[in-house]
Amino acid sequence: MITKTLGEYRRALIGWTVGISLFLTMYISIYGSMREDPETLSKQALAKAPGALRDILGGMEDIATATGYLQTVVYQLLVPLMFIVCAMILGNRAIAQPEESGTLELTVTLPIDRKRLVLDRFVGLLIALLTITAITFLVVVGVARSIDLGVGVDRILAAHTGVFLLALFFGTLTLTVGAMTGRKALAMTVVGVWGIAGYMVITVGRNVDAISWLKWVSPFHYYAEGRPLYQGFPLGDYLVLAGAAAVLALTAVLAFDRRDVGV
Amino acid sequence: MTAVVEAEGLTKYYGERRGLEDLTLDIRPGEVFGYLGPNGAGKTTTIRLLLDVIRPTRGSVRVLGADSREHGVRSRIGYLPGELVLEGREKARDYLRFLGRIRGGVPSARIEELAERLDADLSVQMRKLSKGNKQKVGLVQAFMHEPEFLILDEPTSGLDPLLQREFLAMVREVRRSGRTVLMSSHVLAEVEQVSDRVGIVREGRLVAVENVAALREKAVRRVEFHFDAPVPPEAFAALPGVRDLKVEGAALSCTIDGRPDALIKAAARFTVVHMVSAEPDLEEIFLTYYSEVS
Repeated sequence: MITKTLGEYRRALIGWTVGISLFLTMYISIYGSMREDPETLSKQALAKAPGALRDILGGMEDIATATGYLQTVVYQLLVPLMFIVCAMILGNRAIAQPEESGTLELTVTLPIDRKRLVLDRFVGLLIALLTITAITFLVVVGVARSIDLGVGVDRILAAHTGVFLLALFFGTLTLTVGAMTGRKALAMTVVGVWGIAGYMVITVGRNVDAISWLKWVSPFHYYAEGRPLYQGFPLGDYLVLAGAAAVLALTAVLAFDRRDVGV
Repeated sequence: MTAVVEAEGLTKYYGERRGLEDLTLDIRPGEVFGYLGPNGAGKTTTIRLLLDVIRPTRGSVRVLGADSREHGVRSRIGYLPGELVLEGREKARDYLRFLGRIRGGVPSARIEELAERLDADLSVQMRKLSKGNKQKVGLVQAFMHEPEFLILDEPTSGLDPLLQREFLAMVREVRRSGRTVLMSSHVLAEVEQVSDRVGIVREGRLVAVENVAALREKAVRRVEFHFDAPVPPEAFAALPGVRDLKVEGAALSCTIDGRPDALIKAAARFTVVHMVSAEPDLEEIFLTYYSEVS
């Protein structure tokens, strides 16, 4: 079933890997030409950007440095966003999409345990996300080396691992809502709301006392606030993300085993 | 011998909506059981309960001697869904091999043989299959692992008449080898040719289970005799089971209820040149069941 799942993911996976790799190559390479011209990323130039935009991109204070640029352009928002959307699409293909289209009916009448079915789907998602993470990690390292970016491979690995865990969390969340309800749109809504709200809480909302406590339930808090690109692996934070994904996966396995399929 | 299906008080509600109410039914090994009813009567609900796709609100069901929750037993079952959905870029052949592997291994030659028999093209991506071809692929996957119990939900929908005949031949072969079939339909004509027993479900309830041979015997049929010379009407009066008798010269017509024996013996005293006996219309009998309930 794992092989089958990966077979179903193949086309989407290739597409997203190529897309994200192209994005990374382009944007990291641009830094190579921008640093030649200090004006582009100078404090004065950035001051023209609206405050809210700067908040959303995590402050942008050190965007002129290599690490700051990589953080702002790659790891702050855009690449995690692409990974999350990709993970959401794959996560929905596990249960909700085949259930809505009707192909799941024959699958659940096969001599496979329902728990095993969900578990295999989850492992398929995990392998798919690992693959896209590994390839795009090599792209970042390769491009960084070719323009002599000067950010350590270990730091890139730490940041990229975070992207993987964040994607795994949201991918599993999609799978789990799908396994519980069989509804694709609902799964996407949950991911969308949790994702956007979670991101807002740790950026524009971080100084608003009324909501700042919400950061504890924001996956982005555990993804970004340990500043892996600057300080290396935030082990505790990453364990929280991995643990949350595991709990979600377990919930999916148990919930799917209990309910009617396709009604 | 244990029954292939033992359902007891099997009931399914979808929220407030009734799907199936209090179904008690045994399906015996080696029989072909026709499951009849109008659309929405509860046929598919029953089938999904047997296969553990949905769970009963009340009651229990055992399939091939095992609780329906036990997934292992499903490798001994072949299932054709009523609304079979096949999609994606995967080739039909690869999908069938995948299903075969999961069910414990099906030789490729067996898949090809069935495909050829049903004239199914397996080299096509599944999303490009026509409705008829999807149904053929569905039949291949249901039959290919030679399951002990075949559950076929509206199997003949989308098949042309020639293939329907081939399909019925396949069902007969399954019965001959001692295996069991449950097939649903909303048209009696589709199942009566191969079924041993027929169950009728209506508005979520099983209203009758009938032996097809017995039904035939009970059925009303129209009979005509033509003799070489005019016959006296008195010779046919008051025969048991004979109604609407009409004798005009050398021709006789009537309807008979049950066995034609007495009529044949009465006619045998004259010289019969020609005889017509219409097939009993079981459909009519079923319609009376239907209307009795409603």
